[in-house]
Parts: sequence; C-alpha cells; structure tokens
Amino acid sequence: MKLFVFKSKDEFIGIESDYVHRIIDDSKVTPVPLTPEPYTGLLYHRGELFDVINMRLLLGYPVDGSAETTRIIILKWLNKKLAVIPDEITGMIWIDDNSKNTNEFYHENHKIRLITPDDLWKKLSELSYGHNKI
Amino acid sequence: MGKTSIKIKLITYFLILLFVIIVVIETVKRITGDFYLAQGLSVALAMGIGTIFGIIFSRSLTLRLNKLTNAAREISEGNLTRDIEVISEDEIRDLEEIFALMVSHLRTLLLDMKSVSIKIHETNSTLTKLAKKLLESSNEIDVTAKSIAKSSEDQTEIVRNTTIKLEDGIKVMDELVNQSAHTISKVDEAIKKTQKGETNARETLSHLELVLKEMGEYAQPIIRLPDKVEKIKVVTNVMEAIAQKTDLLSLNASIEATRAGESGKGFAIVAEEIRNMAENSKQSSQAITRLVEDILTDNKFLKEFLVKNQTDLDKGREIIRGIVQTFGDMLFGVKEIFSEIKSMEAATIRQAKELRSFSDKFRELASFASQNFESTQKTVISTRNQKVEVRKIVSTIRLLDRLSEKMMETQQHFTLPEQPQQLPENQPEENQP
Repeated sequence: MKLFVFKSKDEFIGIESDYVHRIIDDSKVTPVPLTPEPYTGLLYHRGELFDVINMRLLLGYPVDGSAETTRIIILKWLNKKLAVIPDEITGMIWIDDNSKNTNEFYHENHKIRLITPDDLWKKLSELSYGHNKI
Repeated sequence: MGKTSIKIKLITYFLILLFVIIVVIETVKRITGDFYLAQGLSVALAMGIGTIFGIIFSRSLTLRLNKLTNAAREISEGNLTRDIEVISEDEIRDLEEIFALMVSHLRTLLLDMKSVSIKIHETNSTLTKLAKKLLESSNEIDVTAKSIAKSSEDQTEIVRNTTIKLEDGIKVMDELVNQSAHTISKVDEAIKKTQKGETNARETLSHLELVLKEMGEYAQPIIRLPDKVEKIKVVTNVMEAIAQKTDLLSLNASIEATRAGESGKGFAIVAEEIRNMAENSKQSSQAITRLVEDILTDNKFLKEFLVKNQTDLDKGREIIRGIVQTFGDMLFGVKEIFSEIKSMEAATIRQAKELRSFSDKFRELASFASQNFESTQKTVISTRNQKVEVRKIVSTIRLLDRLSEKMMETQQHFTLPEQPQQLPENQPEENQP
C-alpha cells in the first residue's frame, strides 16, 4: 500500500494515497465566518469547492508561522472531498498492507500516525461552530 | 760764725791759765817777794783752775757725747723723731753734724724703704692680679687649646671622611662623564633613528596615500557587487520556483501513478526521482540563495568595513602625518637634548675637575688640620709650662711680698717725725693669689 505522508507540528501523519486527489499550490482560500477555528475556508479549484482545514489547528496545536509550505492537499473519497493544509509534505512511502488496520507505525525511526479522510471529517464535525471566529 | 776746734780752745784756756799764773806769780812776788811762794801759789792756782776748767770742759764734752749717745740709743730703739742740736763750733760739731746727717739719711732711707715696700706691695698686688689673670688666661688657653685640639682632631677626621666622600664623588662624576658620553652616543643614535623614522613615516604616508587610492579603485567592484548579486537572487528565485513547481508536479504525478495501479509504478518511480531532483534543485537554489544572502551580508559588512577602513585610513593618514610632525618635533627635541647633554657633559667634566681640585685642597686642609692639631698640642704643653712658670712667679711674688712685709715691719720699728705718708689705697691681702 502506498501512503501519502505529511507533517503537522512535529507529528508525521500518513493517509492512504488513494484518497489524495491532487496537491495544489498558491491557491486562495476564502474564509467562512462562524466556522470552527481549524476550518480555514473554502477553496475553489477547477470548478469545484473544497472545505479547507488546517491540520495543525485540527490536532490542537497553535499556528506559529513555522509552516514550510503553502501547499494544500486535496482529498477525494467516495463522493466526499476535503482540502488539508499541512506544515510540510514529506512524500509517498510504501507500507505493508497489514499496517493498514493499525493507527500508527514506524518508518525509518519516525512514528507515523495513520488517518483517514473520514477521521478528519468526523473530528471537524465534532467541533463547535462560530464561538471564536467571525 | 767760725768753727773753733777743741785744740785751739785748750790752747786758749792754757794760755789764759798761764797768763793768770804769771799774773798771780808776779802779783804774789810783788806782794810777798817770795818767788817760790808765788810759784807754789801759782802752781796751786793753776792746778785748781786747771782742774776746774778741765772738769768744766770735760763735762761739756761728756754732756754733748751723752746727748749723742742717747740719740744713738733712741735711734737704735727706732726713734728717729729726735733732732740733733748743733751748738758748738768744735770737732764734736762735726760728729753731731755727721750724726744728724746720718739720722737724716736714715730717715730718708726709711722713708724710701717704706715707699719701696709700698711700691713693692703695690707691684706685688698688680703682679698677683696679672699672675691671676695670666693663670686664668693660661687655663682658658689650655681649655681653648684642648678644644682646638679636639676640634682639629674632629676636623681632621671630618676632612678625611670628606676627602673619601669627595673621592667617591669624583668616581661618581667620572662614571657620570662616561655615562654622559654613552648617553651622547645613544642620543646621536636616537637622532639617526628618528631621522630614519621620519623618513619611514613619510614613506608610509605616501604608501598609505597610494593604498587609499587603490582601495578606492578596488572598492568599486565591491560597491557594484550587490546589484549583480540581486540579479543572481532573482535567477535563484526563479530556479526555486521552478523546483517547487517541479516538486509539486512530480508529487501529483506520483499520485496519479499510484492511482494508475500496477501500470503506474514505473512512472511513480520516475516521478519520485523527478521530485528528488526538484527537491535537490530546490535545496541547491536555497543554498545559492543563502550563499547570495551571505554574500550580500558579507558585502554589506565589507562595504561598512571599507567605509570604516576608509575612515580609519583617513585617521591613520592624519595620525601618520601627526607622526611625521612628531618625528620632526622629536628630532628637534632630541637635537636640543643632544646639545643640552653636550653642555651637561662639559659641565660634568668641569665639575669633576673642580672636585679634584677641591679634593686636593681638602688634602691640604687635612695637612693643615693635622699641623694645627700638633700646634695645639704644643700650645697645651706650653700653657702647662707657662702655668708652672706663673706659679713660680706667684711664689716669687709671695716671697717678695713677705720681704716687703718684713721691710714694712722694719720700717715700722722706726718712728719718724710727722709728715704726710702715701699709703696704698687698696688692701694687698685681698689680692693674694
């Protein structure tokens, strides 16, 4: 299985490459009021709208400007779609298919946390709306 | 009144007696006619008258002789107040006159003796005073001579020590003269070095001017460097952007290749390699950017350094100009010091010479002090001898004084007629030494 790995804060996060649709750069994200803080806004890309979330904020880390990339990962699965802002994109790695059912594994001495787009969506939906964002 | 001797008187008395006898014989003979009777009567008469005359005459002589004897006895007893009466005109008168003259002479002698004894006493008193003063003076001379001897001894010692110190001073002065000569040679060397230093400073100044000029020329590329580096920076930015695009492209390509399944594996590897290359290119671009930034920073620092260096060099130029000026002043000062040291050396040589002369004089002074010491020693001995002699004089004076006292006693043994006496006013006993 091929895994797409990116980095938020000091944490490596891996997501199955089948969910990754595209990586885009320098795209304008339009903020949406009364949304949770990790919800950065809406992204219009090639005739489609994507919900953009900041992975660092979603994991509960504050934004400190140390993010190295301006890239956005566009995820698509089933009929769902989501855009994620990482701190840094690491790349693609091959993993054993047996590791698919685990939450985390080690690759080259780095602990990689495995997530799915649904996990992200679920976590986003659990957040309260509009209390700290206009 | 003429002088009548006893002989004439006796002859006269005899003739008168003879005439009387003749007259009596003639008268008796005329009366009695008896010649023998007349002769007997006359003899008897003559004998009677002769006896009477003899008695009278001898008595008159005895009385006068007794007077003289009494006078002599009184004189022998010391009474010279009695005057000798001269009444007759005979030979006794001579005796009386001689006796009176003798008494007179004796009075004069006694008076003279008294006067002499008084004068001796006065002289003794004066001599005693003088002897006392002489003795005091001798004592003072003795004390002074001893003091002078001690002072001479001290003076000799001081002069000896001073001579030694002067010798040391002469040695020091000689060393000073040598040191002055050494200093002169050093100052001469300093003049040469200062002149050389001034020349070197002038050369350094000209070199510095040249360096400043060259630095101005060399600084131009450094000043122009930021513009070129900015262009490099633009190029590297473009390269980095291309690398990022390539990275993004390769990333998407690998995603697409993954999506293609097994058939996309080879493409995924290629995409991964391209991504690595893009990453390397990006890192190289970033490294170039960092290097360019470093170059810019270094260039900025270099420019600042150049500006500062220029300022420092300007200051250095001013300093070197000051140094050249200072070298000139130093040269002038060193030359002045040279002349001063020269004159000091001459003065030191003169001083050493004078010190030598001074030392010779001090040696002479030491000799004089030694002679003075010997003379004072002799003076001490002489004053001691003089004191002995003075004591002898004093004893002689005392002897004289005792003699004069004896003379006075002898004179007091005689009684002289009342007349004014010259007695000494002071009491001689008070001045006995």
